[in-house]
Amino acid sequence: MLEVKNLIVFYENALALNDLSLSVQPGEVVGVFGSNSAGKTTLLNTIAGLTWHLKHRELRKGGQRITIAGEIKFAGEEISAVKPAERVKKGIVLCRERHPVFRDNSVEENLRLGGYMRKGSEIKVMMEFVYELFPPLARLKRKKAGMLSGGEQEMVAIGMALVARPKLLLMDEPLLGLSPAMQKEVVRAVREIRKQGVTILLAEQYARPVIPVIDRGYVIENGTLVVSGTGAELLDNPEVRAAYFGIEESR
Amino acid sequence: MAKMAYRKERVDRGIKARTDDIFALSSFREILYLVLPRLLVILFLLPLPLFLGTYWQKVMLITLVIALLALSWDLLASVGLVSLGQALFFGVGGYLAGFLSTRWGWYPLFTIPAATLAGAVFCTLLLYPALRLRGIYFGLITFALPLLFMRVIEATKILGGTEGLSSLPPLPGTTIELYILLVVALGCVFGFRRMFDTDYGLVLKALRDNDRSVEAGGINVQWYKAQAVFLAALPATFAGAFLTHHYQFVGMPAFALDYSILPLTSVVLGGAGSFAGAVLGACILVPLSEVLRAFGTLRVVIYSVVLVIFVVGLPEGIFHYLQRKYHQFERLVPMEEVSNGARAGFKGY
Repeated sequence: MLEVKNLIVFYENALALNDLSLSVQPGEVVGVFGSNSAGKTTLLNTIAGLTWHLKHRELRKGGQRITIAGEIKFAGEEISAVKPAERVKKGIVLCRERHPVFRDNSVEENLRLGGYMRKGSEIKVMMEFVYELFPPLARLKRKKAGMLSGGEQEMVAIGMALVARPKLLLMDEPLLGLSPAMQKEVVRAVREIRKQGVTILLAEQYARPVIPVIDRGYVIENGTLVVSGTGAELLDNPEVRAAYFGIEESR
Repeated sequence: MAKMAYRKERVDRGIKARTDDIFALSSFREILYLVLPRLLVILFLLPLPLFLGTYWQKVMLITLVIALLALSWDLLASVGLVSLGQALFFGVGGYLAGFLSTRWGWYPLFTIPAATLAGAVFCTLLLYPALRLRGIYFGLITFALPLLFMRVIEATKILGGTEGLSSLPPLPGTTIELYILLVVALGCVFGFRRMFDTDYGLVLKALRDNDRSVEAGGINVQWYKAQAVFLAALPATFAGAFLTHHYQFVGMPAFALDYSILPLTSVVLGGAGSFAGAVLGACILVPLSEVLRAFGTLRVVIYSVVLVIFVVGLPEGIFHYLQRKYHQFERLVPMEEVSNGARAGFKGY
């Protein structure tokens, strides 16, 4: 479904992604793990096209020079030069980190806005699905999104991405700053979304809570792929265990 | 990778990296690298008044006045206060100078400094309640205030009403005036730039970035912003007081929109946040507008087109562009070759 080949991204002279290749098969949930500054967000933003957007904006004002090279294929089609909005139409939807919602709009308006590119009837169906997935949101429908707690905002952010009817959902640190209970809720949602036939690429720092839902995982470090494999394989790798799962080897 | 791919790399010149350090003082070449751009500007501007005719001397005078207002705008913008009413400072300074010399018959030597200081204090007090506003809301207040003063003077007929205050004592002559203005303008540019390199400037810069974090750092935001407004008002009130004595007249046009808009466009053209850019912008815009007088009615059209071309084509501002070219060069490097900073894992983003 998604094929990333030899992806290189430079922010000015700093290398963010170094010759990164990965693939996601239809219906899979794939995790990308790495510490801060490993390049997770850059990877997801580049797939969603935001880096492309940033590159052109920076170029216009003579700021940072961003270099993007490599291939990104979605459903067999090369999309490196496709604009971000077009990528959403094709079905690549990014749920950005730190749950950026439209603070002054109600939850319902937020969700509607998320599905702006889709038909009205589709939006209704998806919104019903979102309210089913996150029952608290149905209760908070009319509330301003800025008034919600961090966990509820994360639900809204995921909901917005869902209403856009993704084929491939990119989730950038969906567990960031959430309580363990809320993390469980999000992990449950990931499982539900997957049942709808949505392919998911998920970036996380702390891999432990999401390991049960992923089919395969990639570990990246300084923009380079270090290890890849199924969840169980990653768990078996002692270095990965220590770094990303918080399991110290007992002697 | 299959085919050889290149990317453009921006690298600091070696001499730039060396002059960032104390080693700058160890060689003549490095000292020259630091001093030359500044020296060239000073050496170009200082003898200029002597070579100009009467007409172009007046143009240079207006240029420097606008440059002072632009400096003031840039300082305010560097603290995160976007002003749309530099005419407020200008008019207050002008009217104070006029008032002091008509009421008490003071000489310009006293009225100008007194009007500069008192005007800055007055403006700071006036804007103090508006300092808690951010972004466009502060801009709207500053936009309204000069218009308000204009109407108050018109309605109450104080300070000469619509007639203004005339036959004020003159200044000693255009050449000397130009030199005074030059010294003040250059002093402001270098002074402000220096100030922003100190710890005090650090607070001011932080105010623009995120004033809530500054407040969380235990710093009184309102008080620091007031200080910045005072500092920013100084060159502008000085310009007002100075031009009042130059024309020997001050009237309602001192609060005119021109004095608000021109400084702003100068900074946008020259590059915000560097102070040198503000002066550079004024030095391009005001003479340009004079040169274009030959085109009659088309003047405004050409002027606007030039402005649009620069703002769209060079949004960072001319000064920042020149500065970058001076400090950095670009080269093509193969994709595989990673610069040292990247290899060390520095993401820089």
